[in-house]
Amino acid sequence: MAQTTSSQIMTVFVLIGAVATGCTRSIEVLPSADSGAEPATTTIATTERVPLILDQVKISQNGAPQNPSTELDRRLLGSLQSLNLFSHLSLAETSPLVTDEKAIVAHLTIDDAVDSHPGEAAWKGVVIGTSMFLLAPVMELHYDYGTHLTLELERWDGTVKTYHAESSGIASYNLFSASPSMITELKGHVLETGITDLMNQLVKDTAFCNASSAPMTERTIHTVSVKAKRRTPQAVSVSTADPSQSR
Amino acid sequence: MLRLHVLWSLLAVGLMIAPVQAADSVAPQITVGTQEIGLSAGYMLPHQLTTDHTTKQQGVAFMPSWMMTVSDPIGDSWYRGQVSLGAEVVYIQFQEPFLTHGVGFTPKIKYTFVAHDRIRPYAEFAGGPFWTDLAGKIPEESSEFNFILTAGFGCSYFFTPQLAMTVGYRFHHISNAGTQYPNLGLNASLPFGGFSFYF
Repeated sequence: MAQTTSSQIMTVFVLIGAVATGCTRSIEVLPSADSGAEPATTTIATTERVPLILDQVKISQNGAPQNPSTELDRRLLGSLQSLNLFSHLSLAETSPLVTDEKAIVAHLTIDDAVDSHPGEAAWKGVVIGTSMFLLAPVMELHYDYGTHLTLELERWDGTVKTYHAESSGIASYNLFSASPSMITELKGHVLETGITDLMNQLVKDTAFCNASSAPMTERTIHTVSVKAKRRTPQAVSVSTADPSQSR
Repeated sequence: MLRLHVLWSLLAVGLMIAPVQAADSVAPQITVGTQEIGLSAGYMLPHQLTTDHTTKQQGVAFMPSWMMTVSDPIGDSWYRGQVSLGAEVVYIQFQEPFLTHGVGFTPKIKYTFVAHDRIRPYAEFAGGPFWTDLAGKIPEESSEFNFILTAGFGCSYFFTPQLAMTVGYRFHHISNAGTQYPNLGLNASLPFGGFSFYF
Protein backbone atom coordinates (compact mmCIF):
# COMPACT_ATOMS: atom_id res chain seq x y z
CA MET A 1 0.00 0.00 0.00
CA ALA A 2 2.81 2.37 1.05
CA GLN A 3 4.75 1.42 -2.06
CA THR A 4 1.73 2.25 -4.25
CA THR A 5 1.34 5.64 -2.57
CA SER A 6 5.00 6.53 -3.00
CA SER A 7 4.93 5.49 -6.66
CA GLN A 8 1.85 7.66 -7.18
CA ILE A 9 3.62 10.61 -5.56
CA MET A 10 6.65 9.97 -7.78
CA THR A 11 4.41 9.89 -10.84
CA VAL A 12 2.82 13.20 -9.87
CA PHE A 13 6.27 14.77 -9.38
CA VAL A 14 7.47 13.44 -12.73
CA LEU A 15 4.36 14.81 -14.45
CA ILE A 16 4.70 18.22 -12.76
CA GLY A 17 8.40 18.26 -13.69
CA ALA A 18 7.61 17.38 -17.29
CA VAL A 19 4.93 20.06 -17.56
CA ALA A 20 7.18 22.65 -15.89
CA THR A 21 10.06 21.76 -18.21
CA GLY A 22 7.72 21.87 -21.17
CA CYS A 23 6.70 25.43 -20.41
CA THR A 24 10.14 26.98 -20.12
CA ARG A 25 11.59 29.64 -22.34
CA SER A 26 14.66 31.82 -22.32
CA ILE A 27 15.92 34.88 -24.12
CA GLU A 28 19.60 35.32 -24.79
CA VAL A 29 20.85 38.63 -26.12
CA LEU A 30 24.24 38.24 -27.74
CA PRO A 31 26.70 40.96 -26.72
CA SER A 32 27.63 43.48 -29.38
CA ALA A 33 31.28 44.23 -30.13
CA ASP A 34 31.26 47.38 -28.00
CA SER A 35 29.16 46.07 -25.14
CA GLY A 36 32.15 45.46 -22.88
CA ALA A 37 32.70 49.16 -22.48
CA GLU A 38 31.04 50.98 -19.62
CA PRO A 39 28.17 53.25 -20.60
CA ALA A 40 29.87 56.52 -21.48
CA THR A 41 28.71 59.70 -19.81
CA THR A 42 29.51 63.27 -20.60
CA THR A 43 28.08 66.71 -20.16
CA ILE A 44 27.66 69.62 -22.49
CA ALA A 45 27.17 73.17 -21.35
CA THR A 46 23.59 74.29 -21.83
CA THR A 47 24.71 77.09 -24.12
CA GLU A 48 26.50 74.60 -26.33
CA ARG A 49 23.47 72.43 -26.87
CA VAL A 50 21.60 72.51 -30.16
CA PRO A 51 18.25 70.99 -31.06
CA LEU A 52 18.05 67.58 -32.69
CA ILE A 53 15.36 66.85 -35.24
CA LEU A 54 14.58 63.22 -35.99
CA ASP A 55 13.81 63.34 -39.66
CA GLN A 56 13.28 59.83 -40.87
CA VAL A 57 13.25 56.30 -39.47
CA LYS A 58 13.46 53.60 -42.13
CA ILE A 59 12.71 50.05 -41.07
CA SER A 60 13.20 46.88 -43.06
CA GLN A 61 12.81 43.24 -42.13
CA ASN A 62 14.80 40.64 -44.03
CA GLY A 63 15.22 43.29 -46.72
CA ALA A 64 11.52 44.11 -47.04
CA PRO A 65 10.49 47.68 -46.09
CA GLN A 66 8.20 47.92 -43.07
CA ASN A 67 5.84 50.58 -41.80
CA PRO A 68 7.50 53.09 -39.44
CA SER A 69 6.16 53.26 -35.91
CA THR A 70 5.66 56.26 -33.66
CA GLU A 71 6.55 54.08 -30.66
CA LEU A 72 10.02 53.54 -32.10
CA ASP A 73 10.42 57.27 -32.81
CA ARG A 74 9.50 58.06 -29.22
CA ARG A 75 11.80 55.38 -27.89
CA LEU A 76 14.75 56.76 -29.81
CA LEU A 77 13.94 60.34 -28.81
CA GLY A 78 13.72 59.17 -25.18
CA SER A 79 17.17 57.58 -25.39
CA LEU A 80 18.63 60.71 -26.99
CA GLN A 81 16.94 62.88 -24.37
CA SER A 82 18.60 60.94 -21.58
CA LEU A 83 22.04 61.84 -22.95
CA ASN A 84 21.51 65.55 -22.21
CA LEU A 85 23.44 66.47 -25.33
CA PHE A 86 20.71 68.44 -27.08
CA SER A 87 18.67 71.48 -26.14
CA HIS A 88 15.47 69.80 -27.29
CA LEU A 89 14.38 66.92 -29.46
CA SER A 90 11.55 66.71 -31.92
CA LEU A 91 10.23 64.94 -34.95
CA ALA A 92 10.62 66.61 -38.33
CA GLU A 93 6.91 66.30 -38.98
CA THR A 94 6.04 68.23 -35.83
CA SER A 95 8.92 70.76 -35.78
CA PRO A 96 10.29 71.47 -39.24
CA LEU A 97 13.87 72.64 -39.57
CA VAL A 98 14.40 76.39 -39.27
CA THR A 99 17.04 77.41 -41.79
CA ASP A 100 18.78 80.08 -39.71
CA GLU A 101 19.05 77.91 -36.59
CA LYS A 102 21.87 75.59 -35.63
CA ALA A 103 20.36 72.14 -35.45
CA ILE A 104 21.25 68.52 -36.08
CA VAL A 105 19.06 66.40 -38.29
CA ALA A 106 19.04 62.65 -37.55
CA HIS A 107 18.14 59.80 -39.89
CA LEU A 108 17.86 56.28 -38.51
CA THR A 109 17.82 53.08 -40.53
CA ILE A 110 16.94 49.78 -38.89
CA ASP A 111 17.60 46.54 -40.77
CA ASP A 112 16.02 43.62 -38.94
CA ALA A 113 16.93 40.01 -39.64
CA VAL A 114 14.41 37.47 -38.41
CA ASP A 115 14.77 33.70 -38.58
CA SER A 116 12.06 31.61 -36.95
CA HIS A 117 13.69 28.34 -38.12
CA PRO A 118 10.59 26.98 -39.88
CA GLY A 119 12.37 23.87 -41.13
CA GLU A 120 13.57 23.01 -37.64
CA ALA A 121 10.08 23.68 -36.28
CA ALA A 122 8.55 21.39 -38.90
CA TRP A 123 10.75 18.35 -38.28
CA LYS A 124 10.68 18.82 -34.53
CA GLY A 125 6.91 19.15 -34.81
CA VAL A 126 6.73 15.79 -36.53
CA VAL A 127 8.91 14.24 -33.81
CA ILE A 128 6.84 15.86 -31.06
CA GLY A 129 3.61 14.72 -32.68
CA THR A 130 4.87 11.19 -33.26
CA SER A 131 5.81 10.96 -29.58
CA MET A 132 2.29 12.15 -28.65
CA PHE A 133 3.85 15.33 -27.15
CA LEU A 134 5.99 13.32 -24.70
CA LEU A 135 9.13 14.82 -26.25
CA ALA A 136 7.74 18.38 -26.18
CA PRO A 137 9.61 19.25 -22.95
CA VAL A 138 13.00 18.28 -24.40
CA MET A 139 12.58 19.56 -27.96
CA GLU A 140 13.56 23.22 -27.94
CA LEU A 141 12.47 25.57 -30.69
CA HIS A 142 14.39 28.72 -31.55
CA TYR A 143 13.71 32.19 -32.86
CA ASP A 144 16.59 34.41 -33.96
CA TYR A 145 16.37 38.16 -34.20
CA GLY A 146 19.13 40.55 -35.16
CA THR A 147 19.16 44.21 -35.98
CA HIS A 148 21.57 46.61 -37.63
CA LEU A 149 21.12 50.26 -36.70
CA THR A 150 22.53 53.11 -38.70
CA LEU A 151 22.24 56.60 -37.27
CA GLU A 152 23.16 59.44 -39.58
CA LEU A 153 23.60 62.90 -38.04
CA GLU A 154 23.67 65.90 -40.32
CA ARG A 155 25.11 69.04 -38.72
CA TRP A 156 23.96 72.57 -39.59
CA ASP A 157 27.08 73.09 -41.72
CA GLY A 158 26.28 70.05 -43.84
CA THR A 159 28.79 67.69 -42.22
CA VAL A 160 27.40 64.18 -41.93
CA LYS A 161 28.50 61.52 -39.46
CA THR A 162 27.29 57.95 -39.46
CA TYR A 163 27.19 55.57 -36.52
CA HIS A 164 26.53 51.84 -36.74
CA ALA A 165 25.43 49.31 -34.15
CA GLU A 166 24.55 45.65 -34.35
CA SER A 167 22.86 43.38 -31.88
CA SER A 168 21.13 40.03 -31.94
CA GLY A 169 19.40 37.55 -29.70
CA ILE A 170 17.85 34.10 -29.55
CA ALA A 171 14.64 33.02 -27.91
CA SER A 172 14.59 29.34 -26.98
CA TYR A 173 11.24 27.89 -26.06
CA ASN A 174 9.22 24.73 -25.77
CA LEU A 175 6.05 24.20 -27.76
CA PHE A 176 3.67 24.98 -24.89
CA SER A 177 5.52 28.10 -23.76
CA ALA A 178 5.47 30.00 -27.05
CA SER A 179 3.68 33.33 -27.07
CA PRO A 180 3.77 36.50 -29.15
CA SER A 181 4.92 38.44 -26.07
CA MET A 182 8.09 36.31 -25.97
CA ILE A 183 9.02 37.58 -29.43
CA THR A 184 8.14 41.16 -28.46
CA GLU A 185 10.40 40.85 -25.40
CA LEU A 186 13.27 39.48 -27.50
CA LYS A 187 12.96 42.30 -30.03
CA GLY A 188 12.75 44.83 -27.23
CA HIS A 189 15.94 43.58 -25.57
CA VAL A 190 17.88 43.37 -28.83
CA LEU A 191 16.79 46.81 -29.98
CA GLU A 192 17.65 48.30 -26.60
CA THR A 193 21.14 46.82 -26.81
CA GLY A 194 21.60 48.33 -30.27
CA ILE A 195 20.28 51.75 -29.26
CA THR A 196 22.50 51.77 -26.15
CA ASP A 197 25.49 50.99 -28.34
CA LEU A 198 24.56 53.87 -30.67
CA MET A 199 24.12 56.25 -27.74
CA ASN A 200 27.53 55.27 -26.36
CA GLN A 201 29.13 56.11 -29.70
CA LEU A 202 27.30 59.41 -29.73
CA VAL A 203 28.45 60.32 -26.24
CA LYS A 204 32.05 59.62 -27.23
CA ASP A 205 31.64 62.06 -30.10
CA THR A 206 30.05 65.00 -28.33
CA ALA A 207 32.37 67.51 -29.99
CA PHE A 208 30.40 66.98 -33.19
CA CYS A 209 27.22 68.21 -31.55
CA ASN A 210 28.60 71.33 -29.83
CA ALA A 211 27.16 74.60 -31.03
CA SER A 212 30.68 76.04 -31.29
CA SER A 213 32.00 73.10 -33.30
CA ALA A 214 31.17 74.76 -36.60
CA PRO A 215 30.00 78.17 -37.76
CA MET A 216 26.50 78.64 -39.07
CA THR A 217 26.48 78.35 -42.81
CA GLU A 218 23.59 78.32 -45.13
CA ARG A 219 22.35 74.81 -45.67
CA THR A 220 22.56 73.58 -49.17
CA ILE A 221 19.05 72.88 -50.21
CA HIS A 222 18.71 70.26 -52.85
CA THR A 223 15.44 70.54 -54.65
CA VAL A 224 14.06 67.78 -56.74
CA SER A 225 11.03 68.50 -58.80
CA VAL A 226 8.86 65.60 -59.76
CA LYS A 227 6.21 66.18 -62.34
CA ALA A 228 3.68 63.82 -63.68
CA LYS A 229 4.29 63.08 -67.28
CA ARG A 230 1.61 64.85 -69.22
CA ARG A 231 0.12 63.38 -72.25
CA THR A 232 0.84 65.25 -75.39
CA PRO A 233 -2.46 66.76 -76.39
CA GLN A 234 -3.87 64.93 -79.30
CA ALA A 235 -4.24 67.05 -82.40
CA VAL A 236 -7.85 67.75 -82.96
CA SER A 237 -8.80 68.37 -86.51
CA VAL A 238 -10.86 71.45 -86.83
CA SER A 239 -12.35 72.39 -90.10
CA THR A 240 -12.25 76.03 -90.81
CA ALA A 241 -13.71 77.86 -93.63
CA ASP A 242 -11.29 79.19 -96.20
CA PRO A 243 -11.34 82.99 -95.79
CA SER A 244 -11.14 83.41 -99.52
CA GLN A 245 -14.22 81.30 -99.94
CA SER A 246 -16.13 83.04 -97.22
CA ARG A 247 -16.02 86.25 -99.01
CA MET B 1 -30.94 15.75 -41.30
CA LEU B 2 -28.50 15.76 -38.41
CA ARG B 3 -25.65 17.04 -40.57
CA LEU B 4 -27.79 19.88 -41.83
CA HIS B 5 -28.54 20.78 -38.23
CA VAL B 6 -24.84 20.75 -37.37
CA LEU B 7 -23.84 22.93 -40.31
CA TRP B 8 -26.63 25.43 -39.71
CA SER B 9 -25.77 25.59 -36.00
CA LEU B 10 -22.08 26.26 -36.77
CA LEU B 11 -23.00 28.94 -39.30
CA ALA B 12 -25.42 30.59 -36.87
CA VAL B 13 -22.85 30.60 -34.05
CA GLY B 14 -20.24 32.10 -36.36
CA LEU B 15 -22.51 34.87 -37.56
CA MET B 16 -23.58 35.70 -34.02
CA ILE B 17 -20.05 36.08 -32.73
CA ALA B 18 -18.65 37.89 -35.78
CA PRO B 19 -18.72 41.65 -35.14
CA VAL B 20 -20.58 43.89 -37.57
CA GLN B 21 -17.50 45.98 -38.30
CA ALA B 22 -15.60 42.89 -39.38
CA ALA B 23 -15.64 43.96 -43.01
CA ASP B 24 -13.35 46.92 -42.22
CA SER B 25 -10.85 45.02 -40.11
CA VAL B 26 -7.34 44.31 -41.30
CA ALA B 27 -5.75 41.00 -42.16
CA PRO B 28 -4.77 38.79 -39.22
CA GLN B 29 -1.30 39.23 -37.74
CA ILE B 30 -0.40 35.68 -36.85
CA THR B 31 3.10 35.39 -35.40
CA VAL B 32 5.14 32.79 -33.54
CA GLY B 33 3.23 31.87 -30.40
CA THR B 34 -0.22 32.67 -31.75
CA GLN B 35 -2.61 29.93 -30.68
CA GLU B 36 -5.66 28.68 -32.49
CA ILE B 37 -8.66 26.90 -31.06
CA GLY B 38 -11.04 25.43 -33.55
CA LEU B 39 -14.17 23.37 -33.86
CA SER B 40 -15.01 21.64 -37.11
CA ALA B 41 -17.78 19.28 -38.12
CA GLY B 42 -18.34 17.23 -41.21
CA TYR B 43 -19.82 14.11 -42.66
CA MET B 44 -17.74 11.05 -43.38
CA LEU B 45 -18.33 9.29 -46.70
CA PRO B 46 -16.85 5.83 -47.41
CA HIS B 47 -14.36 4.75 -50.07
CA GLN B 48 -14.18 1.08 -50.96
CA LEU B 49 -10.72 0.94 -52.46
CA THR B 50 -10.68 -2.81 -53.11
CA THR B 51 -13.28 -5.48 -53.78
CA ASP B 52 -12.64 -6.83 -50.26
CA HIS B 53 -13.97 -3.60 -48.79
CA THR B 54 -17.72 -4.00 -48.39
CA THR B 55 -18.61 -1.75 -45.44
CA LYS B 56 -20.13 1.61 -46.27
CA GLN B 57 -19.34 3.35 -43.01
CA GLN B 58 -20.55 6.91 -42.75
CA GLY B 59 -21.53 9.41 -40.11
CA VAL B 60 -20.97 12.82 -38.60
CA ALA B 61 -17.59 13.88 -37.27
CA PHE B 62 -16.68 16.56 -34.73
CA MET B 63 -13.13 17.82 -34.42
CA PRO B 64 -12.14 20.26 -31.67
CA SER B 65 -8.51 21.29 -32.14
CA TRP B 66 -5.65 23.35 -30.73
CA MET B 67 -2.70 24.69 -32.72
CA MET B 68 0.40 26.74 -31.97
CA THR B 69 2.11 28.80 -34.68
CA VAL B 70 5.84 28.06 -34.61
CA SER B 71 7.18 30.08 -37.53
CA ASP B 72 6.85 33.50 -39.05
CA PRO B 73 5.79 33.62 -42.69
CA ILE B 74 8.45 32.12 -44.95
CA GLY B 75 8.92 32.56 -48.68
CA ASP B 76 8.14 35.47 -50.96
CA SER B 77 5.87 33.93 -53.54
CA TRP B 78 2.47 32.24 -53.62
CA TYR B 79 3.76 29.54 -51.25
CA ARG B 80 4.54 32.08 -48.51
CA GLY B 81 3.26 30.50 -45.30
CA GLN B 82 3.59 29.48 -41.70
CA VAL B 83 3.98 26.20 -39.83
CA SER B 84 1.68 25.30 -36.93
CA LEU B 85 1.77 22.35 -34.56
CA GLY B 86 -1.05 21.08 -32.42
CA ALA B 87 -3.50 18.35 -31.68
CA GLU B 88 -7.05 17.39 -32.42
CA VAL B 89 -9.68 15.18 -30.91
CA VAL B 90 -11.80 13.47 -33.52
CA TYR B 91 -15.17 12.01 -32.66
CA ILE B 92 -17.10 10.10 -35.30
CA GLN B 93 -20.61 8.83 -34.86
CA PHE B 94 -20.95 6.05 -37.41
CA GLN B 95 -24.56 5.91 -38.52
CA GLU B 96 -24.02 3.21 -41.12
CA PRO B 97 -23.79 0.22 -41.17
CA PHE B 98 -24.39 0.28 -37.38
CA LEU B 99 -24.85 3.11 -34.94
CA THR B 100 -21.40 3.03 -33.35
CA HIS B 101 -18.80 5.53 -32.18
CA GLY B 102 -15.15 6.34 -32.60
CA VAL B 103 -12.82 8.66 -30.68
CA GLY B 104 -9.26 9.55 -31.51
CA PHE B 105 -6.46 11.89 -30.51
CA THR B 106 -4.20 13.12 -33.28
CA PRO B 107 -1.16 15.37 -33.14
CA LYS B 108 -1.31 17.61 -36.17
CA ILE B 109 0.95 19.72 -38.37
CA LYS B 110 -0.37 22.43 -40.65
CA TYR B 111 1.11 24.71 -43.30
CA THR B 112 -0.96 27.84 -43.90
CA PHE B 113 -0.48 29.92 -47.03
CA VAL B 114 -0.53 33.60 -46.08
CA ALA B 115 -0.03 35.29 -49.45
CA HIS B 116 -3.66 36.41 -49.43
CA ASP B 117 -4.83 38.63 -46.62
CA ARG B 118 -8.04 37.18 -45.28
CA ILE B 119 -8.30 34.04 -47.34
CA ARG B 120 -5.76 31.53 -46.13
CA PRO B 121 -5.59 28.08 -47.72
CA TYR B 122 -3.76 25.38 -45.79
CA ALA B 123 -2.61 21.78 -45.95
CA GLU B 124 -2.60 19.55 -42.89
CA PHE B 125 -1.54 16.13 -41.74
CA ALA B 126 -2.51 14.34 -38.54
CA GLY B 127 -2.32 10.89 -37.06
CA GLY B 128 -2.89 9.12 -33.78
CA PRO B 129 -4.69 6.41 -31.84
CA PHE B 130 -8.36 5.83 -32.51
CA TRP B 131 -10.84 3.70 -30.63
CA THR B 132 -14.07 2.50 -32.23
CA ASP B 133 -16.69 -0.10 -31.43
CA LEU B 134 -17.48 -0.39 -35.13
CA ALA B 135 -14.52 -2.75 -35.44
CA GLY B 136 -15.45 -6.36 -34.82
CA LYS B 137 -18.85 -5.80 -36.39
CA ILE B 138 -17.47 -5.40 -39.90
CA PRO B 139 -15.20 -7.63 -42.02
CA GLU B 140 -12.48 -4.99 -42.53
CA GLU B 141 -11.43 -4.38 -38.94
CA SER B 142 -11.23 -6.71 -35.97
CA SER B 143 -9.81 -4.71 -33.05
CA GLU B 144 -11.35 -1.76 -31.26
CA PHE B 145 -7.95 -0.10 -30.88
CA ASN B 146 -6.86 1.44 -34.18
CA PHE B 147 -4.93 4.32 -35.62
CA ILE B 148 -6.31 7.13 -37.72
CA LEU B 149 -4.30 8.96 -40.35
CA THR B 150 -5.59 12.15 -41.90
CA ALA B 151 -4.34 14.31 -44.75
CA GLY B 152 -6.24 17.19 -46.23
CA PHE B 153 -6.53 20.78 -47.20
CA GLY B 154 -8.83 23.64 -46.45
CA CYS B 155 -9.32 27.35 -46.55
CA SER B 156 -9.90 29.85 -43.75
CA TYR B 157 -11.70 33.13 -44.22
CA PHE B 158 -11.02 35.68 -41.47
CA PHE B 159 -14.04 37.70 -40.36
CA THR B 160 -11.77 39.53 -37.92
CA PRO B 161 -8.06 39.10 -37.06
CA GLN B 162 -9.18 36.65 -34.37
CA LEU B 163 -12.05 34.76 -35.95
CA ALA B 164 -12.06 32.63 -39.07
CA MET B 165 -14.47 30.33 -40.83
CA THR B 166 -12.95 27.20 -42.30
CA VAL B 167 -14.03 24.74 -44.94
CA GLY B 168 -12.00 21.82 -46.16
CA TYR B 169 -11.57 18.24 -47.19
CA ARG B 170 -9.77 15.35 -45.54
CA PHE B 171 -8.97 11.82 -46.43
CA HIS B 172 -9.22 9.43 -43.47
CA HIS B 173 -7.62 6.05 -43.09
CA ILE B 174 -8.40 3.88 -40.07
CA SER B 175 -6.54 0.62 -39.39
CA ASN B 176 -4.78 -1.14 -36.51
CA ALA B 177 -1.22 -1.27 -37.93
CA GLY B 178 -1.36 -5.06 -38.17
CA THR B 179 -1.81 -5.65 -34.45
CA GLN B 180 -4.78 -7.94 -35.17
CA TYR B 181 -6.29 -9.48 -38.29
CA PRO B 182 -8.30 -8.86 -40.41
CA ASN B 183 -6.95 -5.38 -40.94
CA LEU B 184 -8.06 -4.17 -44.32
CA GLY B 185 -8.58 -0.64 -43.10
CA LEU B 186 -11.39 1.83 -43.54
CA ASN B 187 -11.00 4.73 -45.92
CA ALA B 188 -13.23 7.74 -46.15
CA SER B 189 -13.57 11.31 -47.34
CA LEU B 190 -14.54 13.97 -44.87
CA PRO B 191 -15.73 17.35 -46.16
CA PHE B 192 -16.01 19.67 -43.19
CA GLY B 193 -16.64 23.21 -42.02
CA GLY B 194 -15.98 25.05 -38.80
CA PHE B 195 -14.64 28.06 -36.97
CA SER B 196 -11.30 28.97 -35.45
CA PHE B 197 -10.39 31.53 -32.83
CA TYR B 198 -6.86 32.98 -32.71
CA PHE B 199 -5.23 34.50 -29.65
